[in-house]
Amino acid sequence: MIRCSSKNTWLVIVPLLIMLQCDVSGAADDAFFEAQIRPLLIEHCYRCHSGKKTNGGLALDTRSGWQKGGESGPAIIPGKPDESLLIQAINYESLEMPPQDAGGKLSDVKIAALTKWVRLGAADPREEVEHLGGMSLQEAKSWWAFQTLPPAEEHPDPADVDRFISAELASRSLTANARADRRTLIRRATYDLTGLPPTPDEVERFFADESDTAFATAIERLLKSPQYGVKWGRHWLDVVRYADTAGENTDRPLPHAWRYRNWVFDAFNDDLPFDQFVHMQLAGDVLPADGSPQKMSEGIIATGYLAIARRFGHDIDKDIHLMHEDVIDNLGKNFLGLSTGCARCHDHKYDPLTAEDYYALYGIFSSTRFSFPGCEPKGQPRDLVPLLPQTRIDELTQAWQQRNDEAVAEKNRREQSTTESRNRLKEQAATSSRVLATAAVGEGVSVSFADAERESLKPFAIRKGEVLQLTVFPNDGHGADSTLVDLQITDVGNTDRQWNISDVIPDLLSGNPHQASHGAVWCFLEVTDGPKFLAERQDGIDGHADLSAWRFGDTPSIFVNRSNEPVNVWTSLPATSFFVHPGPRRPVAVAWVCPDDAVISVSGRVMDAHRSGGDGVAFRLEHIASSESGAALVALGQSQNASDIVVEPSPVVPVAYAVVEGTVGDAALHKRGDPEQPGDSVPRRWVSILGGDVVPEGAGSGRRQLGDWIAQHPLTARVMVNRIWQWHFGTGLVATPNDFGSRGQRPTHPQLLDYLATQFIASGYSVKAIHRLIMNTRTYQRSSDVSESSATNDAENRFLTRFARRRLNAEEIRDSLLAAADNLDTTVAEAHPFPAESTWTYTQHNPFSAVYETNKRSAYLMVQRQRRDPYLALFDGADPNASTPVRQLTTVPTQALYFMNAPFFHDQAARFSQRVLTAGGNSAKSEQVKGQQRIERAFGLLYQRQPTATEYAAAAHFLDQYPGGLQEKWAAYARVLLAANEFLFLD
Amino acid sequence: MIESDMAGTRNTPDRRSLLQSAVAGSTLFPGIVQQLLADSGDPLAARQPQFPGRAKNIIFLFMTGGVSHVDTFDPKPALTRDHGKEIKADHPEIKDRPGYERIFLKRPQWNFKRHGQCGTEVSSLFPNVAECVDDIAMIRSMHTSHSNHYNATLGMHTGSFAFSRPSLGSWVSYGLGTMNQNLPGFVVIAPKQTYAGTQVYASDFLPGAHQGTVVVPGATPVTNIAPRVPVSRQKMELAALRAMNAKHLQSRNNDSLLSARMRSFETAFGMQMAVPDAFDFGQESEATLSTYGLQRNQTTGFGWQCLAARRLVERGVRFVELIDTGSSGNWDAHGDMMSHVSLAKNVDRPIAGLLKDLKRTGMLEDTLVVWTTEFGRTPFNNTADAKGREHHPWAFTSWLAGAGVKGGMVHGATDEYGLRSVEQSVHIHDFHATILHLMGFDHEQLTYRHAGRDYRLTDVEGNVVKNVLA
Repeated sequence: MIRCSSKNTWLVIVPLLIMLQCDVSGAADDAFFEAQIRPLLIEHCYRCHSGKKTNGGLALDTRSGWQKGGESGPAIIPGKPDESLLIQAINYESLEMPPQDAGGKLSDVKIAALTKWVRLGAADPREEVEHLGGMSLQEAKSWWAFQTLPPAEEHPDPADVDRFISAELASRSLTANARADRRTLIRRATYDLTGLPPTPDEVERFFADESDTAFATAIERLLKSPQYGVKWGRHWLDVVRYADTAGENTDRPLPHAWRYRNWVFDAFNDDLPFDQFVHMQLAGDVLPADGSPQKMSEGIIATGYLAIARRFGHDIDKDIHLMHEDVIDNLGKNFLGLSTGCARCHDHKYDPLTAEDYYALYGIFSSTRFSFPGCEPKGQPRDLVPLLPQTRIDELTQAWQQRNDEAVAEKNRREQSTTESRNRLKEQAATSSRVLATAAVGEGVSVSFADAERESLKPFAIRKGEVLQLTVFPNDGHGADSTLVDLQITDVGNTDRQWNISDVIPDLLSGNPHQASHGAVWCFLEVTDGPKFLAERQDGIDGHADLSAWRFGDTPSIFVNRSNEPVNVWTSLPATSFFVHPGPRRPVAVAWVCPDDAVISVSGRVMDAHRSGGDGVAFRLEHIASSESGAALVALGQSQNASDIVVEPSPVVPVAYAVVEGTVGDAALHKRGDPEQPGDSVPRRWVSILGGDVVPEGAGSGRRQLGDWIAQHPLTARVMVNRIWQWHFGTGLVATPNDFGSRGQRPTHPQLLDYLATQFIASGYSVKAIHRLIMNTRTYQRSSDVSESSATNDAENRFLTRFARRRLNAEEIRDSLLAAADNLDTTVAEAHPFPAESTWTYTQHNPFSAVYETNKRSAYLMVQRQRRDPYLALFDGADPNASTPVRQLTTVPTQALYFMNAPFFHDQAARFSQRVLTAGGNSAKSEQVKGQQRIERAFGLLYQRQPTATEYAAAAHFLDQYPGGLQEKWAAYARVLLAANEFLFLD
Repeated sequence: MIESDMAGTRNTPDRRSLLQSAVAGSTLFPGIVQQLLADSGDPLAARQPQFPGRAKNIIFLFMTGGVSHVDTFDPKPALTRDHGKEIKADHPEIKDRPGYERIFLKRPQWNFKRHGQCGTEVSSLFPNVAECVDDIAMIRSMHTSHSNHYNATLGMHTGSFAFSRPSLGSWVSYGLGTMNQNLPGFVVIAPKQTYAGTQVYASDFLPGAHQGTVVVPGATPVTNIAPRVPVSRQKMELAALRAMNAKHLQSRNNDSLLSARMRSFETAFGMQMAVPDAFDFGQESEATLSTYGLQRNQTTGFGWQCLAARRLVERGVRFVELIDTGSSGNWDAHGDMMSHVSLAKNVDRPIAGLLKDLKRTGMLEDTLVVWTTEFGRTPFNNTADAKGREHHPWAFTSWLAGAGVKGGMVHGATDEYGLRSVEQSVHIHDFHATILHLMGFDHEQLTYRHAGRDYRLTDVEGNVVKNVLA
């Protein structure tokens, strides 16, 4: 904070008083300080208590440093050595300073000198400099990036840009390259604006246009392509660290984040003015919309920028301050090129940002309600923002109610009768039950019915409609384990009539009640409070298709392993087996309804199948000797499943992962960044060096104002035009695009940067206007040749003697392979095929993890935070956890392995070869002519040029020598062409 | 100085930094390109540490889920004596947790005995490792800053408990490069992902060449390593590719960016041979296999991981991490401590085998073996007869062995119940500082400039544990 702000007036007053006091003795005291005290402080104290390093918060290199003191309070009370902490510390009375590892206790002479100095009033002539964070106020106010911009040119011209570049070249006696050839230019511009290779048609049209405006025309065409927004929107997604998962400990999917992604793509396509683009991302939900539902919905979706902030920890709410830091850090870097996140724990060490600035912004976001992605202890997502006005939602709901009123009522009636019959069954069971066997089953133990018999398990008579029921209880109220059950019932009078619970394994999901042979019925029940049919059908568990279940939620359940092999999940489930799994305090039963009067024998066992998983179980096998029970039970099941009442699913209201206004209030400063140590509350306001305006009373969170402040500051325009420049040329005029502060690099062409920023604003913040201004320059159209002089004198090409050759990025490589294979779907993608939210059971032990293949553009690939997409990680895709201002480009052998052995690569190469082989199949042509045409076509498609005679000969030779048929030869040749540097690099 | 060599590569994609290529001696390659590449700024080129480190390689054994220190390496007779006694503790795992209003001491379930010349006590869970205590510096005073698996695992690997940061292995690779260009410098052998996923071996803001390469035990341990066409054909394709690229390069002033990629194919071809060779145990004797508890032709199990680690280190890989299980089915014994029996059995003989084998071959002289977990387990639970133990960040045991480590010693101690680390405490930042020291780095000097700040593994903390140094 500025050390003269009104809140700290005392800091100013105190030194004034002291100075008055000092003036009495004046020069002599200063001389004493200079002769004895300053050298002593420098020698013994400065190492830990000066400049950026202020251990314990204490600075001893300024007067205000010791006046303010450290965490223990002022270090010196002038005139009172006994009460001065500093003097106590050097005497090793309280603290021990300097500590042993910094030279140890001072000599007596030095202690005496310091004591004398303090006793005499601690005269300290050292100049006071006002600081703002890590800069002096003076320096901060004159910092280049914060200055106002020059007036705009009325008729901006690409030649203006060239003039700035030329001036710099001339002053360094550098010679720039000539214009690149037309083939290079169309390839460069097409990749640059759309991320895709030019089609042969597009190349031909460009070649055919011999006018001077041919390139400008091509640029206009490309700017109109919907693929432009995908490419440039993806650039933006890099800086906002877009991801499709939340990043907390289970990395939950964000099924609605795609709406923000697509909104960004659309915004670039529509050339949405950048100030609005900024403003909508911060406050789209509270901006005055024109009243159209469409605009309202877009505004909400735009705030997805804030919502996609990374979430942290097990319980997100406990680490919510980290999410806020992620928000503040990102918006600082993105829009302002300032590392605001650094001020969470302390004033910025290098830039004019204070911890108070940080908490002033913090209050704005803690006054905002963010969509909640769910987390392990708090379940599923909530606070998603509906994209329809409430009136429309009401209409939908009312219409739905009208259509379904009757069905809902009927359903309720049936539920009522179900409850009644459940209670009746409970009573019947209580009065007519005969327990055959019962036992506790210890950890990992197997108990047979015979072991556990209570009455004799000898064959007994059972009447039609009576029930045999095996109930498995959780032990001691715990969650219990996967429990294996064998159960066999044999009609003693006719041993052909046998029922085994394993009979249900192949088609468990065919029904519950489950029809068995000879008219018997199996029922799978929860019996916590009377019988209740396990109603949720689950086909496949934990990704194992051979497991299926009837259940309520995770447990209670009964489930089977259909496979002939054991399946390893939470424990190893033996082949072809039947299990029950009680829930916490929720027993499960398997009931068998007897079809005819008979004498039956029963055998089987119950086994705790998950050793070390919990506390074992208990079971009870009983005969419910009431002949109405069976029919009533089956009727209950049928009515519970009744499918004749159709209630439409309730209306689906589209929602966004976004933010809305929350409970408004200022935030307290967190001392040392620790939310457990709240300090003073900081009013919500703009960063002080950039204006410091305060959020007006009644203005809500202040996001709307923040949007204005950011959008209107010249720094924002400078940062964005620098990004545009960098995304065209590889390096920005400021080479550190996320850092325009003192640790960043200075612009190589400051006037050009300001010129572009000015024109950006004057154009109404049109990004496309800046593309035109840049791409129509001679600078952009230079060849990428590296001349000797340029290699020596402009090695890093900071002065643009040439165009910087670059490798295609991850998305461009994949899209180009798909395009070459004629296998790229350029239509818009929407949601990812995430599992339905209701099925999520992600934990930190089993976090969400998936890779979804798609033939759509790679910008639509699902981006995961915890487990990076292996392809994107291999080719230096953006970091989904932090802003990526510049893609790192590495060349590593594992990438080469991809071009040698990856199935996807081989597949696209095979498709490409098919495309070449099947084209222009005029059978009249000779084989040689056809062969030549194929090679020409391949070069045309991939390199936008014809092969040279040597290349043609080499290709023919390769195809001739390579073993196998035409298909194999061409697939191999396609791999060569697609792996070549000419395909992967842009000149 | 490393910093000045590499600083700023992230934000200034100049020619040098674009050339982050793993390239080296290839007989197939024309001499001219070799020359061009000589000064390529290759991030994986072998380089010298800041001062001569005792260790040249690390094998990092990570036990997932939280190993109970009081049942393995930290004997607590008082805990047996006072079994069932109620205690009070302001512990993160019981705060506001229903059913945990009262807590009681819970006795260790395994007996401890003295072993070796030094007499360090180890429980009967690790009978084989116990035979190696004379080579081990046991650190019984470890502690960490978080009680969640995710955060504690991230912390143990990156020094950061919430944010993504470069992994220890990445820092070592960044500092030292690799000694064999046909293999990655940092390899992680894991049957399944551990907590926090790929972040535990990510290079994050360090150049991507330093990220861990994952090996999944099994028939094809590395992605894209198996040729999809016969090698004779692949050679024809690579020759044709080389010819095309050479011509392309020629007309582009021998741009080193292009030649680096050409070279990466040569290296990849080398890897295609070298990687399967490293994982082919055919030449290992029966005696060696048995040291690791391996059957011939076995391609999974911790013994396989340990022997693979030795073979990788032998071939110049700097940092090999072995993860014993994954984020489930691990040491996280809430339900029953008995699960420690099979988990210990799974790793005990292989780890001892690894130590013995490294010693036999002399490799232990310059290989540092690190054994750790993310946190310990509570010496208490909510009932006296509860079978399991909860997460315990306040105290746990880790150990070091090999290069530069004083064997046969115990460093630090917990209190009489193993509740808190009370003597010569070692936080994970100190642990990291010590490991870097053994590799020849001052942890305060091994830094990387990112987003305007110099980052280091130990953030603003960390003291080298000098006591464990030989």
